Amino acid sequence: MPPETHSPPLSDSQDANSPGVVGPAILAVLVLGAAAWLGLRQAPGDTEPATGAPPTSAAPAAMPGFRADAWFLPDEVELGFVEIAAGPFSMGADPTTDPEAFDNERWSATTAQGTVDLPAYFIGRYEVTVAQFAAFVAATGFPADPQAFDTPPDHPVANVSWPDALAYCRWLDAELRGSPQTPPALAERLGAGWRITLPSEAQWEKAARGIGGQRYPWGEEMRRDRAALQDGATVPVGSSPCPECAHGLLDMSGNVWEWTQSPLQPYPFDEEDRGDLDADALWVMRGGSFTDPARNLRTTTRGGADPGARRPFIGFRVAFSPPRP
Amino acid sequence: MGLTLALLAVSLAPRVQSNAILAGSFQAAAAALAVWQAVLWLRLRGEPAGRSFQVVLRPQHYLQAAVQLSVFLYWGYFWRPVYDHAWLLVGQLLFAYAFDLLLAWSRRERYTLGFGPFPIIFSTNLFLWFRDDWFYLQFVMLAAGFMGKEFVRWRRDGHSTHIFNPSAFSLGLFSLILLATGTTDLTWGQDIASTLTLAPRIYLFLFLIGLVVMYAFSITLVAGSAAIVLFGSSALYSAVTGVPYFIDSEIPSAVFLGLHLLVTDPSTSPRTPLGKAVFGALYGAGVFALYALLGAMGLPTFYDKLLCVPLLNLSVQQIDRLAAAIRARREAAPRPAGMRAPAPAGLLQANPLHMAVWALFFGAMTVAGATDGRHRGDTVPFWEQACADGRPQACERLIQIETNYCGDNAGWACNELGRHHREGTVVPADPERALEYFAQACELRFQAGCVNLLDPASTVRADPRALDLRLLLREAGPNLLDMPEPMLYARACDHGWSFACRP
Repeated sequence: MPPETHSPPLSDSQDANSPGVVGPAILAVLVLGAAAWLGLRQAPGDTEPATGAPPTSAAPAAMPGFRADAWFLPDEVELGFVEIAAGPFSMGADPTTDPEAFDNERWSATTAQGTVDLPAYFIGRYEVTVAQFAAFVAATGFPADPQAFDTPPDHPVANVSWPDALAYCRWLDAELRGSPQTPPALAERLGAGWRITLPSEAQWEKAARGIGGQRYPWGEEMRRDRAALQDGATVPVGSSPCPECAHGLLDMSGNVWEWTQSPLQPYPFDEEDRGDLDADALWVMRGGSFTDPARNLRTTTRGGADPGARRPFIGFRVAFSPPRP
Repeated sequence: MGLTLALLAVSLAPRVQSNAILAGSFQAAAAALAVWQAVLWLRLRGEPAGRSFQVVLRPQHYLQAAVQLSVFLYWGYFWRPVYDHAWLLVGQLLFAYAFDLLLAWSRRERYTLGFGPFPIIFSTNLFLWFRDDWFYLQFVMLAAGFMGKEFVRWRRDGHSTHIFNPSAFSLGLFSLILLATGTTDLTWGQDIASTLTLAPRIYLFLFLIGLVVMYAFSITLVAGSAAIVLFGSSALYSAVTGVPYFIDSEIPSAVFLGLHLLVTDPSTSPRTPLGKAVFGALYGAGVFALYALLGAMGLPTFYDKLLCVPLLNLSVQQIDRLAAAIRARREAAPRPAGMRAPAPAGLLQANPLHMAVWALFFGAMTVAGATDGRHRGDTVPFWEQACADGRPQACERLIQIETNYCGDNAGWACNELGRHHREGTVVPADPERALEYFAQACELRFQAGCVNLLDPASTVRADPRALDLRLLLREAGPNLLDMPEPMLYARACDHGWSFACRP
C-alpha cells in the first residue's frame, strides 16, 4: 500500500495536470501487449515443444531390422515377440554350485532353488529401443526424460523409470489392439485378454536361463563376446550375437538392467505378491548392465531399484502375458 | 543515468545472472530507460527551463516502507526465497525511481524525490512476483502501476488525484490478465500466499505492525471492518455448513496482510469515518465473494484479495457521498423530546478508540483459535470425513488439499488422488489422470501407487508413511523433517489419523 497525499500536483504548467492522450495510450499498449503475449503463450498450435518431446533423430525414417511402420518393432513375423512354452523351471541359485550367488537368490532357508510353473507367454527378443520409446513419446506427448533420447535409436532406451516403462507397455498394448498390422497370433491372444506389460521376475528368469537352468543365458561360463558389458556405454540391441542363448533372446545379460513387474521381496517367489504396502517401494531389475561386473550378469542375479530412478544403465523389455486365472 | 547504470550493475549480481532471461530482463529495462533519457534529453535541449527535483520525505512513505520491510525480513527468515529475492527488489526500486522520475520530467519541470516508490515496490512484491523466466513482466507491471498513478486521475475534493492505489492497480490488472490467459503459473503468487504461515505467529506479527500503520494513518476503520466482516462471514458459513469457509484458516494470512497493507491507502480510500468503515466492509465482502467465485471457476483463489481493490478505489466518491448523505439525514432528522443527539463526530473519529476495539476483537479471535495455531481445517482426515458426510464443498476442498500435498511430494496424497480419479466417487472418473497420479505416487516410492499402476482392475490404499506424515502434518507450517518418529505418530494420532493411534 503506497499511501499518497492528495496535495495538488507539483506541476509547473497547467497541462501537466491533464492525462493527455499519449500516456494513457502507452499504458494501454503496455497492458494489452502483456495480455496478448501471455494469451499467445496459451494459444492452440503453440510451437513450444512438448515436455520430453523426442528429437527427430530418435525416430529415423528407417532402421535396419526394425519396422518404422510398426512402432519400430523388430521386422519379424511376430514383431519380435518370442513365445516361451508353458511349464516349470528352476528358479533361484544354489550357492553350492554357484559360489557367486547372492544371498537373496536362495529360495528358502532349507531349499536352494524352487520350481515355478508358468503358463505360456511371450517376451521381447530385444530390449526396448530408443526409437520404439521415441515413437511412443511422439504419439502421446508423454513427458519423458530428455536423456532417454541421448543415445542412437537402435540402442536400448535408458533413463526411464518403472512407471515410464509401464506407460510404454500400456501404449503398445492399445496400439496393437487397434491396428490391422498386428500379427494374427498376437491379435487373437489380445482378444482373449492377454496384455503387453513388463515381465515378472519369474518370466524373465525362465526366458533367460531356459529350462536347463544356465548360469548365464549362453551357458555356465562367462563369455565377454556374448554380452555388452564394461564398455562404458550401451551398444545397439542385438549386437552381441548369442546362438547358444535360450529362445534366441538377445541382451538378456548386459547392455542395460531391465525392469520387471515384481517387487523386491525375499524368495520364495509368489506371482501374486505385491510387496509391503507400508515400506518404500523397490522393484526388481534383472540382467545387469554395461557398467556391471560379470557376477551381476548372471541369470539369477536380482537387482532392486527405486521405481522413480532414471539411470543410463536401466531400461526394459516387454512381455506379452495371459490374463491371471 | 546513475539509476540506469545502477540497474545495469545489479544485473551482474549472481542471483540475477543465475538465469539468462532474468539478466536479460534487467538489461532490457535499463536499455529502455536509457533510450527514454536520450529522447527526453534531445527534446529538452533547446528549452530554457531545465528539470529539477525537490526532496519531500513523507512519513506515509517511509513508515509504510519500514513496516513492509519488516514483513519481508520476518517472513523471509522462515522462507528463504524471500531473501534470495532481495537483489530483484533492489533492481525494481532502481527501475521504479528512474521510471517515476522520467515520467515526471516528461510532463513537468519538477520531480518530488522521496520514499514514494518504496511502498509501491514493496507492496507489489508482498503479493506477486513473476518467475525468473518471465521477470520482464514484473517491470511491465510496475510501469503500469506508475502510469496508472500518473494518467488515470480524477478530481476529488477540488484536487486532481490518482484514482487507484498504484500497486493495487497493477496487481489487480495483472491478476485479471493472468487469470484470463490461464497463466497464473508464471508467478510466485500462490507460493507467496501459502508460505506466509511458515513464519510462526504471523497473524500476531501482522496485527502488531498493523497497529503502527493504524496509529500513524488512522486506517483502523478500514482494516478493522474488513477483518470483522471476513471473520464474521467465515464464522457464519462454518456454523451453517459445519466446515470452514477458507480451508485452513478463518481468514487467510495473505488476506490479513492485504487488509493492513494493500487496501488502506488514504488517498484512494474514503475520507469520512463511515465511508472508511463501509470501504473496509466492502473489501471483506468482496474477498469473501471472490474466493467462492474463483474457486467455482476452478481458478487460483489467492487472487481474491487483489481483484477487488481497484473496483473499490473506483467507488470511493460514491461511498463518501453515501456516508455524507447518511450523516446529513441523521443530523436533520427530528428527534423526539428527551432523545440524545447523535454521537459527536469526534467520537467516530477517535482512532485510538477504534484501535482498542480492534485489539479486543483480534484478542477474542485469537482466544477462539481463529488466528495463529491449529485449525480444524488443517487436517486431511477432517476433510475426508466432511466429504463422506456430504458437507458443502468438502470433497472439492479434499481434492484441493490432497493436490497441494501431492505437489509437496507426499506419495500418499498422490495415491489418494489417483484413487479418486479411478473410482469417480469424489471427482468424475478419469482413468488417464488416475494413472498419472499413481505414477507420481510410485515414483515417490509409495508402493500402493505402483500396485495401482500395474493393476487397473483394483485400487489399493495404504496408510501414509513417516515421510508422508512429515509433509501431511506440517499444516501450513514448516516441514517436520527432524521430528522423531514417536512424536510424529503421536501428532498424527492427535490430528485425526486413526492408524497412528494404534499401539
